[in-house]
Amino acid sequence: MASLPEEYTSWTKALGGDSEGFAPVFDRQRDRVYRHALRLTGNAPDAEDLTAGAFLELWRRKKSVRVVEGTVLPWLLVTTTNLARNHARGLRRYRALIDALPRSDDGRGAGDVALEHIEEVVVIEQVRQALNSLARSDAALITLTAFEHYSPAQAATALGISEGAARTRLHRARARMASALETSQAGERDDMTKEMLR
Amino acid sequence: MNTREMDSVFASALREALIANVERTPRLRRRWQWRLGIGVVAGSIFVGGGAALAAGVFSPPGAPSDTQLGNIIAVTRTGTATVDLGPAPATATNLSLTLTCLSVGKFDFPDGSYMTCSPADISGASGTSLQSTEVAPLQPGQDMVTIDASANASWSLQAVYVNRVTTSWGTNASGQTYGVANQNGTPDLVAVTIDQGEVQGYVKASDLDCASGSDDVNSPAQALAWDAASKNRNISIPVYESDGSTEIGVFVVGDALGPDATTVPLSSLSIGCPTTGNSP
Repeated sequence: MASLPEEYTSWTKALGGDSEGFAPVFDRQRDRVYRHALRLTGNAPDAEDLTAGAFLELWRRKKSVRVVEGTVLPWLLVTTTNLARNHARGLRRYRALIDALPRSDDGRGAGDVALEHIEEVVVIEQVRQALNSLARSDAALITLTAFEHYSPAQAATALGISEGAARTRLHRARARMASALETSQAGERDDMTKEMLR
Repeated sequence: MNTREMDSVFASALREALIANVERTPRLRRRWQWRLGIGVVAGSIFVGGGAALAAGVFSPPGAPSDTQLGNIIAVTRTGTATVDLGPAPATATNLSLTLTCLSVGKFDFPDGSYMTCSPADISGASGTSLQSTEVAPLQPGQDMVTIDASANASWSLQAVYVNRVTTSWGTNASGQTYGVANQNGTPDLVAVTIDQGEVQGYVKASDLDCASGSDDVNSPAQALAWDAASKNRNISIPVYESDGSTEIGVFVVGDALGPDATTVPLSSLSIGCPTTGNSP
């Protein structure tokens, strides 16, 4: 039997101009991307905007997308991080499209996550600031390894660098991230976040 | 309300917008050829665990290859159900699962991936429904599989044990290994596709490393300098046949875009890592 990973097949179809190939990629990865975006923004509307931006970028930059182990997810996660670092500018080209998309009228808004998970929001903001303080390549490495549990080898492949380089940079990025968190945090929750970076 | 999941109204509208966006993409091929003409080409890097070998698909050495073991088990169920697969053959390493949705709903694979089917995804009398295939590692002792589905959602499953092996890299006349990066590391020549997958070839791993900055960055200051330099700059590297010397195109590393973005050949830069010409 010969088979290709389904997402890879769909992605290849989409690249060939088959719009139906793009839908399964979105269906499979949208919630992972959204949850990552939520972690970076702390509120649903911004996370939705970022998710939309990441998938629109996936198509716009399709020729340079790296497929890792049959999936475009690492590329989407890194792109989400990059967009979050400069939310307004990164999404500018899609603003009209995103604003035109309907949303549920259920009152979910910027304050909802905050009200439900006030402690998390503090951590989210600290993590966001710490990520923003890193070089873009370092933020991408932290996104994939510390947040999304990819191995350094997989992250290296996603970012187009050697595994050795990824490990070296990761070591530095973790130290910087921890130091940035140190600066921005003063509470006992530090330990939880820093634990993630070990 | 669950803020951990995307607003379904927004998600559904976004899905339609993305499909429309793909449909709108104008004359991809012509634009591509024009870009090829001025030497600006990007592509995809093949990696281990990726493509395994369908007819007509570029399957570079080092990619996984699956061999079917025994018969395909085909069942049709509604809602969440567990399918007995019978004992796994001794050489089985993975389980290939192909799920087809027969009605609208959400269908979860055991590995946490899932597919959702909208009315448009369900076949009429002659069409085909949305289908998804996973090749998941076999757990010790595993002889059944559970698909989680919404209460009234019908699905059919084709399951079969497979033996997955990682193929070996090729070695060319110059002694260079070529293929995809896998658990054994990275070959000397890394498989890439350019021109929308129509041209397959190899880039030197050393060029790739150099162009992506990993050979040139040894300190935080250098990393920052590299980031700054890369902001509006892409680097192109040669794509070769598997002989590592016949050039067939260029592969672009970088994500600089917009009016200020430029693409320059690696050989034109002095960036402190060994650039290569045609010699291995």
